[in-house]
Amino acid sequence: MVVARRRWFQTPWDFRESVLFTAAALFAGFVFEFASSGSSIALPRLPVNAIILSLFAAVVLSIGFSLRNNLIVKWFGGIPLGLCLIFAIALLSLIGGIVPQGTESSGSLAAQAGVNHIFSSWPFALTVILFLANLGLSLSWKLIPFKVQNLQFILFHAGFWIALSCAIFGSADLQRLVVPIEEGKANSFGYTMESDTPQRLPFSVFLHEFSLEEYPPQLLLYDPHSDKLLMDKSQTILEVRKGTTASWKGLDVLVLDYIPFALPGKDGLPQPADRSTGIPYAKVRISADSTKREAWISTGSPMLKPDAAALGNLYLIMVPGTPKSFRSAVTIQDGKGDDVMANLEVNKPVNFKEWKLYQMGYDEKAGRWSKLSLIEVIHDPWLPAVYLGFFMIMAGNILFFWNGIKRTEGASS
Amino acid sequence: MITFTTAAILAIACWSLGSIVSIFARRTPVLKVPAFLLAFGGSVVMISFIAFYWSILDRPPLRTLGETRLWYAALIPLVGFLVEYRWKIDWLKYYCMALAGFFLVINLLHPEVFDKTLMPALQSPWFIPHVVVYLVGYVLLAASSVTALHNVSLQLRAKKNVTGESVSHYLALLGFVFLSFGLIFGALWAKEAWGHYWTWDPKETWAFLSWLAYLGYLHAYRYNIERSKLQWYLALAFVVLLVCWFGVNYLPSAQNSVHTYTQS
Repeated sequence: MVVARRRWFQTPWDFRESVLFTAAALFAGFVFEFASSGSSIALPRLPVNAIILSLFAAVVLSIGFSLRNNLIVKWFGGIPLGLCLIFAIALLSLIGGIVPQGTESSGSLAAQAGVNHIFSSWPFALTVILFLANLGLSLSWKLIPFKVQNLQFILFHAGFWIALSCAIFGSADLQRLVVPIEEGKANSFGYTMESDTPQRLPFSVFLHEFSLEEYPPQLLLYDPHSDKLLMDKSQTILEVRKGTTASWKGLDVLVLDYIPFALPGKDGLPQPADRSTGIPYAKVRISADSTKREAWISTGSPMLKPDAAALGNLYLIMVPGTPKSFRSAVTIQDGKGDDVMANLEVNKPVNFKEWKLYQMGYDEKAGRWSKLSLIEVIHDPWLPAVYLGFFMIMAGNILFFWNGIKRTEGASS
Repeated sequence: MITFTTAAILAIACWSLGSIVSIFARRTPVLKVPAFLLAFGGSVVMISFIAFYWSILDRPPLRTLGETRLWYAALIPLVGFLVEYRWKIDWLKYYCMALAGFFLVINLLHPEVFDKTLMPALQSPWFIPHVVVYLVGYVLLAASSVTALHNVSLQLRAKKNVTGESVSHYLALLGFVFLSFGLIFGALWAKEAWGHYWTWDPKETWAFLSWLAYLGYLHAYRYNIERSKLQWYLALAFVVLLVCWFGVNYLPSAQNSVHTYTQS
């Protein structure tokens, strides 16, 4: 039997037409991007974006339901085009994964082509829209008539459709503001990453106290000539406490005493002090060759110079531990009588009305003594829709896994 | 104190001996059980070491690249044993044990700094599920890629091999499920820790890319593209995962990533 080679654009369309179509879409996208001289796309906000998205979904689904036997529509919702669009999105993501994003260099060729803001560029937007149309059509054919065996397909594909479309259409409504607050003061203004103009929030945040806990300090040997910190033989980050030992070439150190919070007394020797002012002190015995000596060393603070032990050209120093946790005790008020006291901590955000408040940062130069706390406040009305999509994908995945396991049993027999 | 060097050498010895005995077991079936016990013992050694290391670190050993290699070395031989049990394919486990040994050797050559600290953003209930789900996904996809490579080499020698092709497919399918969970767990965690579920951080972008690569594979498979061609695809798709796992650190886009592993 002779298989006649299918000519270009002879129905039913297949991979060749899909590749051409996808390439044309990418090309058109880059042309648009050049024409708009590389400016990011400004999306409409609520309720306009919600209306556009609903209309788009309605159009795609009704075309899918009514024209399911049309060969072009079939191709548009088919796997070949879907695959090509997946690869196109992958290609654009590859650009976004290699070229640093968000760098300001307008006017350059890269900026005009949109490659330094690829995820808000025309080629990306166009590809995603086509992909959503393709995905939506294929979904419509599995939705009606409904069959239980299609449930995995529906959950996964509908979940992906919802999560992707809501994340992108809803991005215009995402508000992320940084609120700097000093201890004992309130602030009701936030700043975006892009501009210096403060924006008024529908609430204010009062900072009672900012506190930071550190890991224990570390012992290191400092070489001022090469400006290098030398680690001890065991390549261990040495946490200073009573009894800690460390050794370098020809040098042994033993921590005889350790006071986590202390201040120098009248005789110069450290005396235990309050947590809020004291700094870590350690009494060390240094044995080099046959000589032994003892010394107090400290980490220092913004108010106090550190004490180091000189050893020839080197110094034995104690550096403060890295932050273990930091938190802000705040009161959030909306001025209408609603107020909430809360502890903000990394990984433990707090909800207030439709906003979510995050512990973001502090004055890193002052470290433990920072009187400033940076709070990030976020409003994202589309979050529930995106999460619905996520959970549908996960549910679909559990079914996929289950079916996969069942089918592997079939394959082995 | 149990050191990493002792554990690694012991595990590698178990895997090597297990492999040798297992080759002899092809002729003398009596040796099958001791061969399996030896090889399995290697993974038990690594799992016990991870448990011990976890307890003295006071934090899960999942923070540095070297620490993720420990898990990888412990888990990937298990996939080899599972495939042998399920599909009666006995060659995959050799590749898996060799790969595990290779990762331990990297760790032996580049000893890491012993550091107990864990930055606040990582102190989250999502930390362990996110990383472990990803590791299992990577392990399955590595096994899938190795199987596909083996299938490609059989193809080149014009040997027929239907079971091998279905093994690489099902491993990729299961791996994809784990990748999806890892990606979504990561998004849910990011919302709690950094305020937004998706910020196109380079690591996220590459994780998304690897997910797309396998999504593409599953659709190509579904469209009945020749299975033999797809073996090439599966063999190469793992390269994207490798870039995502540690290549990202070296890319120009990674300057401001929150995801770069601690370098030491």
